Amino acid sequence: MAKKILIVEDDTFLQSLAAAKLAKVGYDVAVASDATAADKELEKATPDFILLDLVLPGVDGYGILKKIRENDKTKNTPVIIFSNLAEDKDIMKAKELGATDFMIKSNFTLDELADKINSLIGI
Amino acid sequence: MEELENLKKENEELKKMNATKSDWIAISAHELRTSLAANKWMLKMFLDKDFGSITPEQEGFMKKAFDATERMLALVNDMLAVNHSQDATLEYHLAPGNIVDLIESVIFDFQGESFKKGMEIIFLKPSPEPAPIMMDSDKIRVVVQNLIENALKYSDKGNSVIISMIARSEDLQVSVKDHGIGIPALERGRIFEKFFRATNAKEKDEIGSGLGLYTTKKIVLGHNGELRFESEPGSGTTFSFTIPYAGSGTVEKK
Repeated sequence: MAKKILIVEDDTFLQSLAAAKLAKVGYDVAVASDATAADKELEKATPDFILLDLVLPGVDGYGILKKIRENDKTKNTPVIIFSNLAEDKDIMKAKELGATDFMIKSNFTLDELADKINSLIGI
Repeated sequence: MEELENLKKENEELKKMNATKSDWIAISAHELRTSLAANKWMLKMFLDKDFGSITPEQEGFMKKAFDATERMLALVNDMLAVNHSQDATLEYHLAPGNIVDLIESVIFDFQGESFKKGMEIIFLKPSPEPAPIMMDSDKIRVVVQNLIENALKYSDKGNSVIISMIARSEDLQVSVKDHGIGIPALERGRIFEKFFRATNAKEKDEIGSGLGLYTTKKIVLGHNGELRFESEPGSGTTFSFTIPYAGSGTVEKK
């Protein structure tokens, strides 16, 4: 059975590209544009991997990450923060909150992201 | 006396305006990065035939568009770095910081890139851990980023980058050593100039604005440190910077 990935990203262009690429590689992809939608998706099914943006309307990525780590079902799920914020304080904060990795969107392409996810959870 | 008051007021105004400008640049850079990233991702997907086959002509144009996007992103990144360093010329937010943690976190950021190039970043951590230094961690992060980025960019697949650190009595010295293309002897005097890029650097990678080392030097000098390099064309370059423990980053040295 295909591994499940949840993408939390509010930019619809980025979201649809990432979803298309990861589905193409063979993952079962769910998307959410904000914290409320992310909560709903996490209730529906526990993903094997979460791709999380930081700047979101309402509760931001840090808030979502905190909740993910407090939830028994997802406390060990790999979470990559995918953002264009790249200051020291952002990266430190994400690491402190338990992010598996931090990637700057504009420094990567989606095939590289797919490789990274593959190395973390396989396909 | 009145004149002094006026000058003080004016100075405050200028500081405020500069802070607004910096914020504006930071916000625009974030927006630019987001839309440029989307274009880059999409073009790469076309090139990877994720959306089906494309003609050689389409492929050629998309490659050009992809490279142009990469160049724009490099420029946005440099703009951010310069923004940081310009803030630095006015004001430092110095606080005792752990540079070992900072370097580790930068290396963590570069994992993807070094993996992609089949290169290893080796950090020879000093023992015992050095005392905290007075630094502006966001700006020193830019310095470490720039040096590692250059080391990766101007080396060939399979080579390693070695970061080492020496704790001396007055300051800490950090070195970033690569086994890359080196800096041509004739151009060594110019590499810290704004917009300057060495001939072999341009050949190796056409993307780059020539602001990286300029910014790096500015920030190091701003911390009252020194930035030096040794280079052997064809066998590598080592950049070393020092940061005094005490710090006194209020005056920019020329």
